[in-house]
Amino acid sequence: MVTTYLRRAYSSFLAHVVDIPPRLLAFILILLWASVPVFKPDGYTLTILVSTNIWAIFVASWDLLVGFTGQMSLGHALFYGIGGYSTALLFKYFQLPVWITIPLSVVVVFSFAIILSYPALRVKGPYLAMTTMAFALIASSVLYIFPEITGADSGVRKLPLLFPLKLFRREGISALESVYQQTLAYYYFTFISLVITLLILYKVTHSKTGIVLVSVLDDELASKASGINVDKFKVMAFALSALFAGYAGCLQVHFVSFADPGLFALTFSFLPVIVTILGGIGTIYGPVIGVFVYQILNEIFFRKVIKIPLEIYQAKLLIFIAVILILVIKWPRGIGRFITDKLKDLEEARDIDERGPRIWKTYKKKGKKIGVIARVRARLKK
Amino acid sequence: MIESIIIVGLMTSMIYALLALGFTLIYGVSGVVNLAHGTFFMIGAYMFYLITGGVFHLDPRLGLIAAPVVVGIMGAVTYRIIIHPVIRDEVSTLVATVCLAIATQQLVLLGTKGLFMVPVEPIVPGYTTFWGLALTYSSILAFAISAALYIFLWIFISKVKVGKAMRAASQDLEATMLMGVNTTRVYILTMALSTALAAVAGISISSAYLGVAYPYMWFHPLALSFAIVILGGLGSIKGTLVGGFIVGYAETAVKTLYPTSASIVTVVPMVIIVLVLVLRPKGLFGKRIELEE
Repeated sequence: MVTTYLRRAYSSFLAHVVDIPPRLLAFILILLWASVPVFKPDGYTLTILVSTNIWAIFVASWDLLVGFTGQMSLGHALFYGIGGYSTALLFKYFQLPVWITIPLSVVVVFSFAIILSYPALRVKGPYLAMTTMAFALIASSVLYIFPEITGADSGVRKLPLLFPLKLFRREGISALESVYQQTLAYYYFTFISLVITLLILYKVTHSKTGIVLVSVLDDELASKASGINVDKFKVMAFALSALFAGYAGCLQVHFVSFADPGLFALTFSFLPVIVTILGGIGTIYGPVIGVFVYQILNEIFFRKVIKIPLEIYQAKLLIFIAVILILVIKWPRGIGRFITDKLKDLEEARDIDERGPRIWKTYKKKGKKIGVIARVRARLKK
Repeated sequence: MIESIIIVGLMTSMIYALLALGFTLIYGVSGVVNLAHGTFFMIGAYMFYLITGGVFHLDPRLGLIAAPVVVGIMGAVTYRIIIHPVIRDEVSTLVATVCLAIATQQLVLLGTKGLFMVPVEPIVPGYTTFWGLALTYSSILAFAISAALYIFLWIFISKVKVGKAMRAASQDLEATMLMGVNTTRVYILTMALSTALAAVAGISISSAYLGVAYPYMWFHPLALSFAIVILGGLGSIKGTLVGGFIVGYAETAVKTLYPTSASIVTVVPMVIIVLVLVLRPKGLFGKRIELEE
C-alpha cells in the first residue's frame, strides 16, 4: 500500500514539478539568489557569498573545458592566478585604474592561454592533466624566482578596490554599515558577472560550436573525418575557459585587495574537480550549484548554524573528500548529473507508457498539465 | 662539485627510477593513472617512522622489509575498494586518485596532531668517505636495494609466469582473459607491487636523504614519476631507467648549483615535462607514449 502511495506521489512529482520549463526554473533560481540580501545576512555570510560567486565563475569555466571538450585540466588555478597577478602588476607599475586593468589582464590571460595551448593540446587525458598542473606549479615558482617584481610570499598588496569605501561614507551612516554596503555592492557586481558568464557559456555550449565540442569529446577521429578543424575548436575552448577563469581571478584580487602565490594553489585547482562531483559534469550549471552547496555547507552551515566543535571542523576537508570519494565511486558523473539523467530516463519511460492507452488517457481525463517537452515528444512519436 | 653531482646523482636517480617503475607498471597493465602514487611514497616513509621510531621502536632493517609489505597490502586493498569500481572511466579514475591523495594527506595531518614533520631514522647509522665525499651507509644501502629490486623486477616481468601475465594484460586484455588469466587478480598484484616500490623509494629518500617525513611530500615524487614516464615512454622498463637517470641527474645538478633556492628544485620535473612535450612530443624513445592519433 505504501509503495502504491509512494509511486503515486512520485508520478505527481514528475507531472508537476519536473515539468517546469528549465528557463523558468533558472529564472526562479536567479531571482532567489539576487534577493539574498533582502534576508539581511550578516557581513561574514555576505563576504562568503561574494567569494562563492567568484568561484562559481571559475568552476563554470572549468566545466566548459573539461565537461565539453574532455580536456582534463588539473591546473586551472594557473589562469586564475595569471589574471590576478597581471591586474595587480599593471596597477603596481603603471598606476592604471581598475576599470582598465581588468579588461587588459583578461586579454593577457587570453593570449597566454593561446600560447600555452600549443604544447598542452598535443597531449590528452592524464598527460594533459599533469601538464596543466605543471604549468600552474611553474608559474607559482616563477613568482619566487623574481621576488623583486612579484614580492614573493607577501605578494602585491594595497591594490585598489572595485568600489572604494569612500563611495559609501555618508552622513549618519556608521563605518560598519558602510563596509556592509560596500560588500553588498560587490555581491551584486559579482552576481551580475556570474549570470552574464553563465549566459555566455550556456549560449556557446548550446550552439553549433557546443555540438562540435561534444563531438570532439566523443570521437576526435570521427569529427576530424567530418571536416572539423579539431585543433581550432580545442584552442578556442581552452582560451575561452581561461578568459573566464582569469576574470574570476581579477575579481578576487580586487575584492581582497592583494595578490599572493595562494592564487596558484594546488588545492584551488582541485576545487572544480571536487564540486563537479556534487553538481554534475558537462552541464555548466552543475559545478556552479556544486560550489554553492560546498560553500554554504562548509563555511556557513557548519560554522555558523550548527557550530560544530573545532576538532571536528579541522577534519572537515577529510570528511568532505571521503564523501566525494564514495560519491565518485557510486555516481561517476556527479549527483546532479545522476539525478537529471535518471529523470530523463523516467520521462522517456513515461513517454513510452503514455503511448499505451491507459496512462495517457488518465492524464488526459484528469486534465493534468503535461510538460512541454513530454508533449512535443509524444506528438513526434505519433 | 662535479664528483658530488656524479655520485649523488647516480644514487638518487636509481631511487627515482624505482619510483617511476611502480607508476609505469600500474599504468601499463591496467591503464590507471595513479595520481596517488606519491601518496604511497609518503605512507611508506610514515610507516617506516611508525615501525622504527613512532610506536614500536623496532630495528630499522626490519622496518625496511615490513613497511613496504604493509604498504603493498594497503595498495591492493585501496585498489580493490576505490580504483577498481571506476576503472572504466578515465576522468573518474583521476578524480578518485586525487581525492585519495588529499584525503591521505589530511589523515596523516590529523593522525600526527598537526605535526608538520616527523624525524626518520637512518637505516644504518654512520658514514664513509669516498672520492672526497661523505656518504652515509643508508644512502649506499638505499642505492643497492633500489638497483637490486630494479633488476629483480626486470627478471620477474620478463621471465616469471605472473610477470608474463602482467605483460599480456597490458597488451591485450581480452585475449589474456581468454587464456584463463584472472585479470582482476593480476591488477591487484600489480597495484601491490607498484605501491610497495613507491614505499621502498619513500623510505630510501626520507631516511637516507631528508631525515624527515612530512604530509605534503607526495606531490614532488608524483611529478618526478610523471616526468620520468613521459621521458622514457610508457610501460618500457628500459626507458624508465634512462628517464630516471636523466631526471635524477638534472635535479641533482640544479640542487648542487643552486643550493639556496628550494623552489627551483621542485620545478625541475615540471620543466622537463613541458620541454619534452614541446620538443619531442613522442618521448625520447618513440611511439610508446600515448598521444593523439
